[in-house]
Amino acid sequence: MPFPRQVTRLDEKLSLILGQMRSVRARINSLAWQHIVFRSLAITIAAGAVVFASAYLLAPLGFLVSTLIVAFAAGAGLVRAIHSGWILRASALRAAEVADQRAELRGRLSTVTAMARNPHPGPLWPYLVEDTLARRGEFVPAKIERRRISRSVFALCGALLLALAAYPLTKLKHAPQASANNLQNDLTVDLNDLHLRPADSDDTGLEVSADPVTMRRLQDKLAREGIDASGNATSPLVNLVAQARNLAGHVQNKLTGGASAKSRLTLHLADAGEDANRNQVRGPDQPRDPSGPRDEAGQFKQEQHVAGGDEPLPPIDNSPQQRAAQPTPGATPDSGNEFAAGKDSSSADSDTASDLADQGNGDRGSNGGPSHGVGTDPDSLFGSAINSKLGNEGFEIAIEARPMDKGTKGAGHAYIPPKVRTPLNPSQAPDEPVSRAAVPAEDRTTIKRVFER
Amino acid sequence: MNQAVAEAPSVADFARTFRRIQTEIHKVIIGHQQAVEELLGALFAGGHVLIEGVPGTGKTTLVKTLGLALHLSFNRIQFTVDLMPADITGTRVILSGDDGRREFSFQHGPIFCHILLGDEINRATPKTQSALLEAMAELQVTVSGTTYPLAPPYLVMATLNPIEMEGTYPLPEAQLDRFLFKVRLAYPDETELTRIISSTTGVDEAGVEPVFHASEAADRIEALKRLVRAVIAAPAMEQYAARIVRSTQPQNSRYVDDSARSVHDEMVNRYVMFGSSPRGAQALIMGAKVRALLDGRANIAREDIEGIAVPALAHRIMLNYAAHSDGIDAAHIVERVIKSVRAARI
Repeated sequence: MPFPRQVTRLDEKLSLILGQMRSVRARINSLAWQHIVFRSLAITIAAGAVVFASAYLLAPLGFLVSTLIVAFAAGAGLVRAIHSGWILRASALRAAEVADQRAELRGRLSTVTAMARNPHPGPLWPYLVEDTLARRGEFVPAKIERRRISRSVFALCGALLLALAAYPLTKLKHAPQASANNLQNDLTVDLNDLHLRPADSDDTGLEVSADPVTMRRLQDKLAREGIDASGNATSPLVNLVAQARNLAGHVQNKLTGGASAKSRLTLHLADAGEDANRNQVRGPDQPRDPSGPRDEAGQFKQEQHVAGGDEPLPPIDNSPQQRAAQPTPGATPDSGNEFAAGKDSSSADSDTASDLADQGNGDRGSNGGPSHGVGTDPDSLFGSAINSKLGNEGFEIAIEARPMDKGTKGAGHAYIPPKVRTPLNPSQAPDEPVSRAAVPAEDRTTIKRVFER
Repeated sequence: MNQAVAEAPSVADFARTFRRIQTEIHKVIIGHQQAVEELLGALFAGGHVLIEGVPGTGKTTLVKTLGLALHLSFNRIQFTVDLMPADITGTRVILSGDDGRREFSFQHGPIFCHILLGDEINRATPKTQSALLEAMAELQVTVSGTTYPLAPPYLVMATLNPIEMEGTYPLPEAQLDRFLFKVRLAYPDETELTRIISSTTGVDEAGVEPVFHASEAADRIEALKRLVRAVIAAPAMEQYAARIVRSTQPQNSRYVDDSARSVHDEMVNRYVMFGSSPRGAQALIMGAKVRALLDGRANIAREDIEGIAVPALAHRIMLNYAAHSDGIDAAHIVERVIKSVRAARI
């Protein structure tokens, strides 16, 4: 019976065509899935690299904003990558159309594929199948789609290169920051010069010490600035920003390991105005500590020990007990000028207490002292002559600088210049303050007029 | 039935016959390759052709040559303003019989032939023009309540003179829609014109050799027409043709269903008053099938549809005054539509 044999042959030819089309479709779909996977990986890796780099390069708020932008862009990119890959996927008919187009088969394959399940495709159906099968070599998978690997792999390679490029960048940025953080920082700042804002994060690495009065004034100032005691702003918007900054700081620290490498910064708060008031209450004739740190308005002091030549600095422990156990600078001038504003003055003798107060006040007291004349307040030019032993084993440098927040470019920490030791050479003599002599009464008016000018 | 009719023609037979007819026609007609192909395409697709061209471009000669090449009966009607429908369809006249009795007898008009040339059809009144409607659509003529069938194949080729518009009656849309293709005959180029001069002004005139014998011509052509209908159109191709036709219909037309998805070109909304009718889609598919057979295929492709779109759709699109004032013609609209639909397809 020729008819069934002919039908069988036609079915075989048709199955050959459709089988080959399945291979073409599998290759096209493989590329589509590769497109989705490679693009998604590339976007994720690139976004991660950018976020990682920004954690090192940007301040918390900048990091937060950049992370949000990158996250949004990455999300959109992922959606687009998946969508474009999904479109690249080919149904059997779509694969046939692609093969028709690339092999220039003028719709033969798409017609065969579309009409294969039609029970009555038409009298020219055998001719179409035969004609299409005769062109089988033109639509082998390798000719229709030469690539086995999607071009999106280049995007993945690019993302990996970006990630590799970001790694040394973070190392370079991290090195000076880490060295700066490892320093033992100890700052004395006047409360009036302190610019307050909500903290970048909960763990600022800052330990503040001050006498109770200064602490109270700090609380008052915080209240005036709209920041509560815990460092949060009372304004909802500012509070929100602070919380965002806090969150970003946490993430940054986790990414950069900044929390573990961060050193503690001890901030001694001094209140010049309060001390001046106290001095006025105490009276102009009370003695001042000759070796206390000097604190001019608009200045902060960084103290330098020189006693003992190259002796290493003693470790600073700012716990209240330790500070209480330390000798006050006024009581033992030879031991250096370490200042602990948070020390409880009631535990020392009256001289120590008054010296401590004077240290906080600097030269603003009207009693003068060994360092009288350092200031320019004509009201405090003259003090009583003292015969106390002057410290000659150290000196202090007042630096005209304000603590600036470098956090906009660093990882949220102000850059603190390292302490510099300057040992005296043998030919140098230590700085000795001139003993103070009593100013003749007749000259006081003249001198005062000069300084008033 | 002779042997040639008994055997079903193959795809190769169709292309071979088609090329042979083309060759015979081009013995007389110099140039106009595309017009001749479209004309033959309409013949094998079972449609009628409207030929538009300036005087002297060979419209009448082309149709005459086609009749000679196909060896089919051929009539020519010169349409004038005083031409009456009965002059086309025929009329009943009183004839005396041998026994002296007088009776009405139908005298067949020139419409009864295989190939009818309606020369300058737009010079006749609409009433006369409409006399062709029934014959073109249903291959029959009804006179005085009696229906007379027309012998297939039947092909009406009407010519239009686009420049002498005074005293003409534009064809009604219903009649325009019945023409499968509208073929434009342009001026011949210099080379073609030189050949026309040398072939028509000498002693020897080119002779056309019929492709078919007179006895088998009609059957052969009908077999080829059946083969054209056997060409496979995939659903995607039919959808493509439908989308093209839908896209020629402006959005603001009350005949367009808004729920249908189609591509709209801004030029369509701006310049088109009425788009193509469903006959346009039929014309696209039938024309594409002829082109597929000519290419040796048993299936149609998008290229076939796009290639036949302008002659199949341009005369079915009614432009508004803005299009006329801006110098936009329907062919330009169709090309834009094709471009839009092609870009929008998946």
